Amino acid sequence: MDSVVFESVRKIFLHRPALFNWLGRERSGETVALKDVSFSTVRAEVLALLGPNGSGKTTTLKLISTVLLPDGGSVRVGGYDTRHNAGGVRRQVGIAIATERSFFPRLSARENLDFFATLDDVPRRERRQRTAEVLTDTGLDEQADTLVVKFSSGMYQRLGIARALVKRPSVLLLDEPTRSMDAATTAHFWATIRALAGQQTTILLATHNFAEAIAVADRLLLLHRGELLADRPIKTGESASALRSFYFRITGEIDEAALKV
Amino acid sequence: MTSTIDKLLAILRRDLLTAVRHRSGFVVTLVGVFMELAAFYFLSRAIGPSFHPGGIEYFPFLLVGTGLYTFFVMSAQSFLSSVQEAQQTGTLEVLMTTSTAPAELIVLSSISAFARNLANLLIYIFAGVAVFRASIQANFLSCALVLLFSLAIALSLGIAAATLQVALQKGAALLWLLSSGLWLLSGTMFPIQSLPRPLEFLARLVPLSYAIDGMRRALLEGQSPAAMSKTLAILAAFALVLLPLALVVLSLSLRRARQNGTLSYY
Repeated sequence: MDSVVFESVRKIFLHRPALFNWLGRERSGETVALKDVSFSTVRAEVLALLGPNGSGKTTTLKLISTVLLPDGGSVRVGGYDTRHNAGGVRRQVGIAIATERSFFPRLSARENLDFFATLDDVPRRERRQRTAEVLTDTGLDEQADTLVVKFSSGMYQRLGIARALVKRPSVLLLDEPTRSMDAATTAHFWATIRALAGQQTTILLATHNFAEAIAVADRLLLLHRGELLADRPIKTGESASALRSFYFRITGEIDEAALKV
Repeated sequence: MTSTIDKLLAILRRDLLTAVRHRSGFVVTLVGVFMELAAFYFLSRAIGPSFHPGGIEYFPFLLVGTGLYTFFVMSAQSFLSSVQEAQQTGTLEVLMTTSTAPAELIVLSSISAFARNLANLLIYIFAGVAVFRASIQANFLSCALVLLFSLAIALSLGIAAATLQVALQKGAALLWLLSSGLWLLSGTMFPIQSLPRPLEFLARLVPLSYAIDGMRRALLEGQSPAAMSKTLAILAAFALVLLPLALVVLSLSLRRARQNGTLSYY
């Protein structure tokens, strides 16, 4: 069975200006975040979602995690529809979103993870061990008992990934997961992603980083202004620069860095 | 599967740890309790011993009225603050992706907020009795029943404020309106019979006025559940209607927020 199925998904955000809009200039109308997007993933596949800001990558992840509901079409995870059985979907999905500070600041990293593990129905007898495991996987063992209010951006990001992993989801959603990570942590994280795929986890990863897409992904989805412009496998031996060229050719955007060379 | 009790304990632990790690918060709360009680004690002395609203000494009358009023408003306020904070930090969205149903999560979180303020209420009443010598004649069963129904009604108020916060980002406005209205119409400082007839009629539609009246009769006059059965029945009816209604409206507003993408708007 396919892990995640998007069928003609449409998502629109409405802009409703305040009552006295003549006082300011708030925009009205709507933003079409996704236009009839369809794709599906098979179990243990790693998909990289590439696209410029506002292309619909985060919206795609939020639709899978049930934070958002589609305006048209359907989103199914493991056979459950996000609109009609959100609970069934949430039990399978773990998400690490780009928002850094989505933790309880006066709890330690371990306490935060234990709290979220409880809400994610991790059995009590396994909680301590799983929390320790994900803290190690994300390189946070030494900071395990530090209050997260004292964390740096990179630590927050790693803790967000640890939180997504602690429930052992069958579908893992990662929104720019290495944005604030140093090089060594990033390399370790990429290895972790491949190991998770080896354990039958399906992974969707939104990124701007071509090297990251090449390093971890099996397949590429290229989004631009809410449209799916490309859905293709990452070729064996494909380089980050080749992917970069492909990206700019397909999106029609200008690669100013290439112009300088 | 983790039980609901496990989840409630996790939320209570989270809130307790957060409260004790804001070290000054505890001290400020305790000092606040004593300052407030002292103000009401001296107010009742200034008014003089001849003022006996409903046949009750004025200081104990104020103690119960202001204690319950503060419990209602501060519980809803602290719960609303935690929802607003979760919206601002993005925690709300993450919480809504856990395996726990969103409505269950909100109810468990509100219970935690109300448990903390229940502890404050008990400290407030205890300090009023022990330090300021308010005379009580408690019927503990009646007190427990009034408290139980009051808690359910107060939960509804908190959930309604959270609903408005999620739906329109205006929970604080509802709470301000309610707290001002409740201050006037609930009999906190004076008996509602002192109000003009139209306002007295309105006061009889306010659940808090029955909660305060019931607690005064249970704690200060020692009335049995049988003697105050009408008040208890009205409180139970309010609880049975308001709590499910609040939960249904909350579920609808969460679904609407997920549809519109406004879960984290604040």
